Amino acid sequence: MTLNDLAPLIPLMVIAVSSVIIMLGIAFYRSRAFSGLLTLAGIAVAFITLFGVQGTRQVTSLLILDDYALFYIGLILAASFVVALLSSDYLEGRRENIEEFYILLLLSTLGSSVLAASTHFVSFFIGLEILSVSLYALIAYTRNELNIEAGVKYLVLAAASSAFLLFGIALLYGETGTMEFSRMSSGISAQGINKGMLLTGFALVLTGVGFKLAVAPFHMWTPDVYEGAPAPVTAFVATVSKGGVFALLLRYFIQVDMHAYPSLFGAVAFIAVASMFAGNLLALLQKNIKRILAYSSIAHLGYLLVAFLAGGVMRVTAVTFYLVAYFITTLGAFGVVTMLSGKERDADAVEDYQGLFRHRPWLALIFSAMLFSLAGIPLTAGFIGKFYIVAAGAGSALWLLVIMLVINSAIGLYYYLRIIVVLYAQPGHSEVSAVSSLPLTGSLVLVLLTVLLLWLGVYPEPLIEMIHRMTMRF
Amino acid sequence: MDSYLLIPFLPLAAFFINIIFGRTLIKDKAHWVSILAVFGSWVVSMMAVAEVLQGKTVNADLYTWITSGGFKVSVGFLIDQLTSVMLVVVTTCSTLIHIYSAGYMHGDKGYYRFFSYLSLFTFSMLMLVTANNFLQLYFGWEAVGLCSYFLIGFWYEKKSASDAGKKAFIVNRFGDFGFGIGVIMIFLTFGTLHYIPIFGAVNGMVGQTVDFLGMQVDLPTLIALLLFCGAVGKSAQIPLHVWLPDAMEGPTPVSALIHAATMVTAGVFMVARCNPIFSLSPVAMDVVAIVGAVTALFAATIGLVQNDIKRIIAYSTVSQLGYMFLACGVGAYGAGIFHLYTHAFFKALLFLCAGSVMHAMAGELDLQKMGGLKKYMPWTYLTMFVASLSIAGVPGLAGFFSKDEILWLAYSGPSPVGKLVWAIGTIVAFLTAFYSFRLIFLTFHGKFRGSHEQEHHLHESPKVMTIPLMILCVGAIASGWVGIPSLLGGGAHFTEFMKPVLGHLEGHGTHAEEWMVMAISVVAGLSGIGLAAFVYLREGDLAATVTQKFRFVHQVLWNKYYVDELYDFIIVRPTIWIAKNVIVGVTDGKIIEGIVNGVPELIGRFSLWLRSIQTGMVHQYAAVMAIGAFVVIAMVLLW
Repeated sequence: MTLNDLAPLIPLMVIAVSSVIIMLGIAFYRSRAFSGLLTLAGIAVAFITLFGVQGTRQVTSLLILDDYALFYIGLILAASFVVALLSSDYLEGRRENIEEFYILLLLSTLGSSVLAASTHFVSFFIGLEILSVSLYALIAYTRNELNIEAGVKYLVLAAASSAFLLFGIALLYGETGTMEFSRMSSGISAQGINKGMLLTGFALVLTGVGFKLAVAPFHMWTPDVYEGAPAPVTAFVATVSKGGVFALLLRYFIQVDMHAYPSLFGAVAFIAVASMFAGNLLALLQKNIKRILAYSSIAHLGYLLVAFLAGGVMRVTAVTFYLVAYFITTLGAFGVVTMLSGKERDADAVEDYQGLFRHRPWLALIFSAMLFSLAGIPLTAGFIGKFYIVAAGAGSALWLLVIMLVINSAIGLYYYLRIIVVLYAQPGHSEVSAVSSLPLTGSLVLVLLTVLLLWLGVYPEPLIEMIHRMTMRF
Repeated sequence: MDSYLLIPFLPLAAFFINIIFGRTLIKDKAHWVSILAVFGSWVVSMMAVAEVLQGKTVNADLYTWITSGGFKVSVGFLIDQLTSVMLVVVTTCSTLIHIYSAGYMHGDKGYYRFFSYLSLFTFSMLMLVTANNFLQLYFGWEAVGLCSYFLIGFWYEKKSASDAGKKAFIVNRFGDFGFGIGVIMIFLTFGTLHYIPIFGAVNGMVGQTVDFLGMQVDLPTLIALLLFCGAVGKSAQIPLHVWLPDAMEGPTPVSALIHAATMVTAGVFMVARCNPIFSLSPVAMDVVAIVGAVTALFAATIGLVQNDIKRIIAYSTVSQLGYMFLACGVGAYGAGIFHLYTHAFFKALLFLCAGSVMHAMAGELDLQKMGGLKKYMPWTYLTMFVASLSIAGVPGLAGFFSKDEILWLAYSGPSPVGKLVWAIGTIVAFLTAFYSFRLIFLTFHGKFRGSHEQEHHLHESPKVMTIPLMILCVGAIASGWVGIPSLLGGGAHFTEFMKPVLGHLEGHGTHAEEWMVMAISVVAGLSGIGLAAFVYLREGDLAATVTQKFRFVHQVLWNKYYVDELYDFIIVRPTIWIAKNVIVGVTDGKIIEGIVNGVPELIGRFSLWLRSIQTGMVHQYAAVMAIGAFVVIAMVLLW
């Protein structure tokens, strides 16, 4: 292995090095602005170096940097950039020594990026743990009671899920004799394989991954953690952490050729339907915006799995487009929550939003746009995303799943609109609405996200083209 | 082509200007922005209509919206005969109602918000009618629904208003679900969503069947019925009619524009637009005709006994929409659209007159508290009287020509249910005349029955409201003259004009029969008016006596056949029960706790330890995860 072989890893290394630099920097000079700027610069440089990676580059058997990986790493970096911007004003005054937040943020971004590029169970597991360990601390970062509770819950359950995952990996390795995704299918077709062991291994891996993606029945932690974590971190958990894992899952199942195992297919379909219903039905009963968004994210991952189960070229297009739309809307929605949050608590009760349109019309409009997109109303990215999923599902004749999806979209629309109606109602009495002025950076980010959302809804062609080019070489 | 883009986008621009600057800069001048925009699109629409009249139709794509592989959907516009009629209806009614609203909504604290919604609605409706593909149609379809939802609940402080908005929304979900599946089926069958290639290839569909839940179903029938589901929801036909009367909680101009003249007719428009598909399926056609006829009768009978001025007109709308579907169902699409077009004028007029009455009566809706208003508000009285004559089918007025054409084609056309729906239609014509004039006589004639305060306050509405009434009144009289049948020396120009899109249904019958059908409907209408005059213009309590005598029938009609109660009993309550007991039960962890307590001591201790951490929930989460993993493994192994 030469230095040249490592060149494609430069984007990942930039992230890693930035975190080290910030850590060293803190030892000598504590400054939130300084650490924040370094973080943003690190992410930006990493993003730019992505364009320097030419062609498909396999780096050892662990990582691959093809267009697919680069696309997803780019998406993850962009989301982290947004979270870093949103959290800078949010953290101010919530606790002392907030500089380490950025180290953790960079590390978990790194973990998620590794997932998007990994082709091997070892890199998969390492990436997942880098991501998770930083997340425990991030969730509990502002150290109020809710934070810590959420952090500990996540720690306990994530550890349990990692155990499932490891056991699954062990079974698969035991049967196929390899941990490389691409060689696994040839290992499987070899003689003398114990099908039961193999399938149990798949199922256990699915459990571990399902926990990270927060799909039913592994979703129980989601509402508590979403509610308990500081709003920008919730945005991070909902996007960066899930994006990397989903990218990996898609690559893994394509390389192993999941369609060869009807029972595995059935299990994923079960998870998809369970997630859609659990997410949407439970969201109906919530009065807390963060919890509603948590349940809604469970449902959205269910929708994504429908596209995931579809075969053919449409699959990657549908999944990727939907994920991009999901990233934008989730960041936007939690961005609004972040901006409105006071120092005592986050603005997460539905009453906090009552009559928002009266005193903060722009924020209310942005929030409405995000909710419309989540609901899949035309002219937003969410609609196009849903359209592709339905088209992919229908194209593979997954009728039952498509009908479930349509029913669930109808249920979902209801609770999104309920929030929208509250936004335009008569203002209530909430201390949250009294937050003085809105930070400029956050406002700009939100406007940018909204523009992107509408742009993708009205003119999605460029992104679709880009995804097509990426799938060509997949 | 490019100038046609102004038709939808002017109102959209007005929406943005009002929503952004309305609160701070424009305030009570908001109507200017919206009125100018919608007037602009009226002007361009008229130019488009003039072009179409010369035979120049347009079908152009603006840009590609979605592509994937060989499949693509564009944002594009189709301006043909059908669209041009809809453009006339939508932009004319919208312009007049915008002007009227400037007076009606004057001083409301949501003034600019109201006009921005109204503009957004106009934009959505125009997108719906000008679309050249199903996806854009679907966009317009959803968007008008949303605007309607917001406008019904415009006075959200009123609980009944926000409930009505919710109801409209939920009921429409049922229909839209079918519609959505129908669009997907079309996509799968034809590989495209654009009208022209689809309608060009429909004949390939004949005889194909699909496996639907284990049954072999005729493909055209399935697609047509699924699309019709959407129409049933949007156009408030049985069994999804329940939302429209409640939607009257919205401001009256909204009722006139959205819930009478435009949005609710979208279902009829869609069925007419898809006529090549519907015509392939005799079953679907009969369903459309029967649903239309039954709805027409059903709603008309309810209208007989109600006392709420707006609800009577709402039931009348449901009934007339049924008439339009009846026409489509017997294959007389041209006649259906003709009725849609004349109906828009007289029904919008009826609503605006009702609004004018409410304006004078300080929001009073109860007919029993009105009476004798004609001397206080002569213009409102005159215009509403003409509108009622028109809807009652008095010869020479707009409603007469369209209704007569529908009845004649139902009677003489090839449809197997034609004679039946003709008979129902004729009865409905009688009922319509009766309840329309019951409303007129109770409101404007006799003695005033309200309070002294109200009487003191009675006045004619300002010019900004009465002038739109007069213009619409001209429409209620003359809009039918473009379709005078050849029997009366006209040329039936309207249906001729629509022929390229909707085909032309020839009635088979003698002139004598045609005279007879016309005579019967005229007699039905006039006798309805006569009976109303006999009952409500004379002194005495004939109405009360009849009510007493037929107490049971009156109760059933008064309670709208108890449909709301029925839905509450079979759908609403069980849903709430399940949500409360089953779902909350699971999340509360009662069920889960039961499972957890059942497993060995070890887990019990573990969970005790976990409980001490914070809330005692983590163990349940872990248990669910473990059970989930077990289920997944079991599924994988045993499937």
